Amino acid sequence: MMRIPSEVSYIRKISAEIESYLKANNIEDSAIFDIRLCAEEAVKNAILHGNGGKKDKAVFISYSLEGGRFTLEVEDEGNGFDPRMVPDPTAEDNLLKGSGRGVFLIHKLMDEVKYNSRGNRIFMVKLINKNNGGKANAGQAGR
Amino acid sequence: MQVRQEDKNGIVVCYITGEIDINTSPQVKKIFDRIVGEKKEKIVINFKNVSYIDSSGLATLVEILKGMRTYGGKLKLSNLSTKVKNLFEITKLEKLFDITQEEGDAIKSLS
Repeated sequence: MMRIPSEVSYIRKISAEIESYLKANNIEDSAIFDIRLCAEEAVKNAILHGNGGKKDKAVFISYSLEGGRFTLEVEDEGNGFDPRMVPDPTAEDNLLKGSGRGVFLIHKLMDEVKYNSRGNRIFMVKLINKNNGGKANAGQAGR
Repeated sequence: MQVRQEDKNGIVVCYITGEIDINTSPQVKKIFDRIVGEKKEKIVINFKNVSYIDSSGLATLVEILKGMRTYGGKLKLSNLSTKVKNLFEITKLEKLFDITQEEGDAIKSLS
């Protein structure tokens, strides 16, 4: 479990660490691109929306790769949100809006997405072997 | 992240090199605010050297497009990688943006 302050400069540090871990496990570039994007979007949402950018609030990140499943959890210290209330950014009226695509992309690029009941923790799974042609070392776990 | 600008027969071609994410999007926006502020009528953004874009980057491109629409400017995107283009497809932004495979096609259609 990693703990970072609510500062956007940490977003790339976290995703770079995950990228290195995936590369070390011979995961193909396409899956790494998707996982990096989802990790950055989730951490960004946790920092900016969950914790409201308050630097004294932390974001907790954990991930693992086991049996062809890459699992990523991101939790903030905010009050949570209802993901059903996020407007569909692909709706005609929303296409020109500046924000709202992060959560949508996570749902599209990950194979499983769940939230805790409070809505301050997101749990994501990317299946590596099934569709993505990766060569994950089963049983090897990250942080 | 860098943006190189070339004038090709009255068409401004912008070559972005690097990643467009939450850290670099403000730079991209600043550069294009200046170009759009000059009311350039025809702009092509060449993505050949853009390896990554996130939702902040997509939002920045939407802002550029909105800015150009205020004066009737035309924007085309070219040379997107498969992964970057996929994000435009997933988010349906391909409906908003005119995307061509090659820069030459974009220039030809604006000429």
